[in-house]
Amino acid sequence: MSSLAAFSRVSTRRFKINFHLLGVRACGLATMGDGGAGKVTVQDVEKAAGRLAGHARETPVLTCGTLDALAGRKLFFKSENLQKSGSFKFRGAFNAISRLITSANQNPPPVVTHSSGNHACALALAAHQLGVTAHVVMPSTAPQCKKETVRGYGGNVIECVPTEQARVETMERIAQQEGAVYISSSQHPDVISGQGTMALELLRQVPDLDTVITPVGGGGMLAGVSLVMKALNPHIRVYGAEPELANDAATSLAQGKRCPLSYYPETIADGLRINMGPVAWPYIQEHVDDIICVTEDEIKNAMTLIWQRMKLVVEPSGVLGLAAVLSDSFKAREQEAKNVAIILSGGNLDLLKLPELLSL
Amino acid sequence: MMASAGKSYCISFQHIRAALPTITPFVTKTPVMTSSHLNQLANRNLFFKCENLQKTGSFKFRGACNAVSKVVASNQNQTANELSVVTHSSGNHAQAVSLAAKVQGVTAHIVMPTNSPAVKKEAVRSYGGQIVECEPTEQSRVDTADQVAKKTGATMVHPNQSPDVIAGQATMVFEILDQVEKVDAIVVPVGGGGMLAGISIAAKELCPHAKVYAAEPKNADDCAVSFTRKELTPLPAPPITICDALKTSIGPNTWPIIRDHVEDVITVTEEQIKAAMRLVWERMKLIIEPSSAVGVAAVLSDKFQSLPAASHQNVVVILCGGNVDLDNLPWM
Repeated sequence: MSSLAAFSRVSTRRFKINFHLLGVRACGLATMGDGGAGKVTVQDVEKAAGRLAGHARETPVLTCGTLDALAGRKLFFKSENLQKSGSFKFRGAFNAISRLITSANQNPPPVVTHSSGNHACALALAAHQLGVTAHVVMPSTAPQCKKETVRGYGGNVIECVPTEQARVETMERIAQQEGAVYISSSQHPDVISGQGTMALELLRQVPDLDTVITPVGGGGMLAGVSLVMKALNPHIRVYGAEPELANDAATSLAQGKRCPLSYYPETIADGLRINMGPVAWPYIQEHVDDIICVTEDEIKNAMTLIWQRMKLVVEPSGVLGLAAVLSDSFKAREQEAKNVAIILSGGNLDLLKLPELLSL
Repeated sequence: MMASAGKSYCISFQHIRAALPTITPFVTKTPVMTSSHLNQLANRNLFFKCENLQKTGSFKFRGACNAVSKVVASNQNQTANELSVVTHSSGNHAQAVSLAAKVQGVTAHIVMPTNSPAVKKEAVRSYGGQIVECEPTEQSRVDTADQVAKKTGATMVHPNQSPDVIAGQATMVFEILDQVEKVDAIVVPVGGGGMLAGISIAAKELCPHAKVYAAEPKNADDCAVSFTRKELTPLPAPPITICDALKTSIGPNTWPIIRDHVEDVITVTEEQIKAAMRLVWERMKLIIEPSSAVGVAAVLSDKFQSLPAASHQNVVVILCGGNVDLDNLPWM
């Protein structure tokens, strides 16, 4: 792991980091390497796949006869809970840091983010593997196990009071102080193209794929997966799955403009509480066929099915795809879908909280 | 340990080789998974054969499929739906036989004690098994199964002493050798010994340099005691262990194979088992039952760690099942 002292201060004039509350635009990175805040293409995703090879896992696609019978179709579960650091976020984080290192020429800068979730763990692990220091700003109220996981992966945890403002200001201070580059969890082209690599794998792993469904929080994964699917096989239908209690993406799609929630919603799908962001939105608007909303009970039911029938540890945010596929609205919409891929996005949760998350 | 020439066991490698095409249409070829974190902890390259992802949630489906197929094949003058099988089990074997029978159009009679947990009865029913209740004693289980067999003509499928079952469990070795380039050791949890015996015979033929280790709860250590005494020594009383699937003792069919093929038996404490189970859930995101955690605990144990690393570098660990009561987890 690189020590802080080894890095020269990278001038922050090169990086225009514009902090705008939660809709943080990672313009800094966008101006490097790809010639502007340009659109992510399938070629970018293919290059990302090349960078991830040998580092991120090509996760298995698993099936379950019982769930096929319940859904009335064949389901293919892309098991990103088995990904390094326990969620798909490792793909985007690794790709973004790799590109940063390539562009930096000599001494790559440290990286910084604010997150108490999967992105924190993913960034810490990816940075560690690439020999870069990761600073992760976490609210003091973040679960102890998450802080320990980030530290275990070699990340430097900086605690702050649990307000949005404090998170952003602390991150800005660290960025200035350490010359660290901000890596957004979902709103950066290199993160989006990293997440898109799972779509390339799916196309190889599931012949005759006709439908894909992914959870949507910030929208990085849905953006990356949808752009790849529509570029390589426009007949494949792509859906997002969202908690009804955090339905900003569904509302946005219906209204034709981004409609973020003005409050932080309560849902057991804690990874999906953030709003769909401004960088992911245009991809979702262009490529996604629909976004299906599910109730908290539907989420718990899907959790129970996956834990009991598939023997996989998947967190609540990760089961949204199954909840959506089993919902009446999906069944009504998609009578023709025969081969449906569902992304199980992650498996990081506190096992002691399990009883509250299942419908037993 | 070498079997002396002329010694005959209840199965041979030919049985196992014949079982492979028989069960292939029905079973899942389960993945082998790895974990950098567990590799670091064990200081080895660990390869986890994920039989928790097998149909019905445990490896037992393999043996059950083979046994049911044999019943169908031996009764060619009858249609499948005229045939039936019977077993006494409330655990993984019950579910496995139920589904194995259902997919081949055969009826399964499952003898279960009246006090079996509702969730287990429900699981058997959901796989199409027909439950016949008995008193919660060993004698009643055996007697009731006998009665069902006499009344219906059902063939008995013993959970771990049936040669067809043992041969079926062994088929996972073919898959492992397809999936793992180099195998120095295979660590196998042991209850009745069906899986351990089957794997031992297959490994001796297919990867003779690989050493087979048994992993057992200290609280149910009949295999370890038998191995040390070189004499079959069943448990004197029902054991107390969270490994509910490993409470049976090894038997007369599995013991000679184990005695002659297994390198050693490693026993682990209840605490080691719970810790290993939680480790796999948290780091590998796989749901394994306590009996599966026994193999993981064994590989992390002092005894295994003291084995020479060079000759025990690439270790396959069988994660044999994932049927666990989510309402009743050991760390809650």
